[in-house]
Amino acid sequence: MAERISEVIPAAQPLPRAAAVPTGWAAQRSRAFLAGLLPALVVLAAITLAPAVYLVVTSLTPLNLALPEQTTWNFSRPWRNYAELLQDERFGNSVWVQVRLSFFTVILQVLAGLGVALMLNARSRVLEAIRTTFLIPMVLPPIVVAIIWKVLYTPDISPLHRSLAFIGLPIPSLITSPQFALWAITIVDVWEWFPFTMLMILAALQMMPEEVLEAARIDGAGAWQLFLRVVLPLLRPTILVAALFRLVDSIKAFPLIFVLTNGGPGSVTEVTNYYAYTQAFNFSYLGFASAITVVMVAGVFLLSALLIKMVGKEVDVE
Amino acid sequence: MSSARLSRPRARRRPGGPKRVVFFAAVGALLFVVVFPFLWLLQMSLRPEIEMFSSAWLVWPTFDNYLALRTGQFPRNFWNSTVSSVTSTLLSLVIGVPAAYALSRARFRAERHIELWILASRMAPPIAFTIPFFLAYRYLEMLDTVQGLVVIYMTFNLSLVIWMMRIFFDSIPRALEEAAWIDGGSVWGSFLRVTLPLSAPGLAATAIFCFLFSWNDFFYALILTRTQAMTAPVAVVNFMQYQGWEWGKITAAGTIVMLPVVIFSLLVRNYLVRGLTAGGLKG
Repeated sequence: MAERISEVIPAAQPLPRAAAVPTGWAAQRSRAFLAGLLPALVVLAAITLAPAVYLVVTSLTPLNLALPEQTTWNFSRPWRNYAELLQDERFGNSVWVQVRLSFFTVILQVLAGLGVALMLNARSRVLEAIRTTFLIPMVLPPIVVAIIWKVLYTPDISPLHRSLAFIGLPIPSLITSPQFALWAITIVDVWEWFPFTMLMILAALQMMPEEVLEAARIDGAGAWQLFLRVVLPLLRPTILVAALFRLVDSIKAFPLIFVLTNGGPGSVTEVTNYYAYTQAFNFSYLGFASAITVVMVAGVFLLSALLIKMVGKEVDVE
Repeated sequence: MSSARLSRPRARRRPGGPKRVVFFAAVGALLFVVVFPFLWLLQMSLRPEIEMFSSAWLVWPTFDNYLALRTGQFPRNFWNSTVSSVTSTLLSLVIGVPAAYALSRARFRAERHIELWILASRMAPPIAFTIPFFLAYRYLEMLDTVQGLVVIYMTFNLSLVIWMMRIFFDSIPRALEEAAWIDGGSVWGSFLRVTLPLSAPGLAATAIFCFLFSWNDFFYALILTRTQAMTAPVAVVNFMQYQGWEWGKITAAGTIVMLPVVIFSLLVRNYLVRGLTAGGLKG
């Protein structure tokens, strides 16, 4: 910076103030930048790093708020929670529920998002308004989504159940059925989040080089061929990134399950996140819940690192 | 992958004739699936309590359900939501914006680590923060306080501000502030007078996102509040404990919680992808 200024300004003229203190200014500037960054880093450390350490420490104790005397800071058997976890069938079940929920929601969201994006990707005022309308499910507060679907899934008040009964096809309540409860949650999650994949794919479609599409058309590619051979490969990175985001967020699923099924019937819809919540805040087993959470967080990080490694080569993900 | 512009898609050949009819029928069906559940909530909130279970599709609308919310705790819950969301947003901006600017303009050795850290805090499920915060607040007597909510909302808002604002600052040319420096301005003085005004749209979008994420929070407020600091989303669910006869209140309160969100979201719709992928994607 200082060098550039002295190059531009002839030596004969009096130097402007900034150039008069060359080294001091650079040092002053980096001090100023550091002063801007530090408060944020300190706060971020206090509210994210410290809790993470506290969580890991707690997971090594049998902390139970019903018995605080014996269990607080008790490190006599640090690995006990983890050993118990390995044998805990309910934990194993919760992981399996999570795997199925994540798998089906992500796949269906990608397919629905892709389909709708392709359908609506044209220049027209009407379609533009429709595209904006399609964002509604995604921007609603999650708790409102849960309430809306609680209404639709409760037979004595639901227009869905009533209409089906009216045309002679009454169906039992989905959210209280062990067979369908997880599907009921999946449907709502797809409804809520397909706009996200749609939006990302639309953005990618809009940036697609028209010349490439035109060239393929001139070479005689039909609509299907064009889609499979040209459009889909170009969309691949976007689809992978969108799926990765949805996968990571699907592990946070809470309001839907809390309002619609409470993890039930039995533990049919009890995902790991929900299991940790009940252990911690219904039964006060905070030590054990911390261990569940540590395992879950480690799982999320490992899975993401693995996927980013696989996807990262083609996409600019961090 | 930058901001998804909904308004400017590439032209494509439009289907004509019977194809066109099928196309619009399909779009209409999809529109119904997307909008119907949302509209159903709205109309339920306008139904008189006695008509809630009736099978009549059309009833004379009433605002009784909304008026019923004036008494009781709901106004207070709404106020708690507003105060905690706005305060957390402002604090995150005050602390986060200078950091974002510093990261955009200077090179720090730890930059890569800071990025990974932000990414990690975005990926971690909320329960990972809830357990330690719950224990700490119990000790500090901050359970059931709005201040407690403000602090925990910063766990996501601060990273969001740093990430989003850095991208906005990256897109503002340095030449302008360098000119201000030559005129004798200090680093932060020039930032306030030159760079910050230029990034006003980005700042507004970021603020709206912080507000929305805090406003939409259910999980943290469910666990960290009881009665005094309870927020509107938790209050709505609490009406559910008397299932079957508070549907009017549930749907009216749900509508009130949702309206500011829908309005704000449509304002920032061009930045939606950026806001929702913050922490993972640049640009």
